[in-house]
Amino acid sequence: MLKCRDLVNQADLLIDGAELRPGRRLALRAHLLICRHCRRYLRQLDALTDHLHQPPPPLNERDTRAVLERLEPRR
Amino acid sequence: MAIPELESPEFLDRLRAGDRDALTELVRGYHPRLLATARTLLSPADAEEAVQDAWIAAHRALPRFQGRSALLTWLTRIVINQARMQLRRGGREIPFDPTEDGGDALDHRFKPGGHWRDPPRHWDLTGPDALLTRDELQHCLEKNLAALPDNQRLLLQLRDVQGLDFDAICHILEVSASNARVLLHRARARIFQMVDHFQETGEC
Repeated sequence: MLKCRDLVNQADLLIDGAELRPGRRLALRAHLLICRHCRRYLRQLDALTDHLHQPPPPLNERDTRAVLERLEPRR
Repeated sequence: MAIPELESPEFLDRLRAGDRDALTELVRGYHPRLLATARTLLSPADAEEAVQDAWIAAHRALPRFQGRSALLTWLTRIVINQARMQLRRGGREIPFDPTEDGGDALDHRFKPGGHWRDPPRHWDLTGPDALLTRDELQHCLEKNLAALPDNQRLLLQLRDVQGLDFDAICHILEVSASNARVLLHRARARIFQMVDHFQETGEC
């Protein structure tokens, strides 16, 4: 029987959409059906990784030019 | 996640042919991400230098780039190698062996049998309460991210902040999937623990 500790250890695979063997997926799902603490953990971890997802915006024109000038100084 | 327009075969052809506009678009789109990656390991000034050196190396190697990985993956790998070289000059290494980094921040919240002793509080990062404390939370997150071991911070930056593919990250860092899994889990566990504490107490 899957323990909460096991679910928490494997929650990252679910968050990352990793491929899971059908047996393992079933065990995780069965545990989540009966355990509200783990449902909460998974939901909030998912929200947290979404919150962290902030790829920086593109570089402004002036700084872009500065990088390029050091790349191709002759131009 | 990579920027789709910068990863198309047509764009790559333009880059390989030395198209100046394509190079400008590439730098504009990816420089901030590469800098964020370097900043997880180096001081701001050293990170700038590492990324600039990486651009020089990449620019030279571009005509021979085969496109077997995404450009962003390839560039990130070059940046990390530059950063590692700089670290080595200062006598530092980044170990990817998860046994050396202080364990799992959630361990104490479980009973020996593996059930929750201290289950997570309910919180909602997008709700009205969260809006009121958004700046404090952000500040606390940044502080805790900075306190992570280098290898965990790097994994979290690449996977969760930038959204790179997990397998691509293993390739970039030349680390086994099982080690990367442990490091990523520990990084997330620490940040989860921190947010849980913040939501309950309002303190960082």
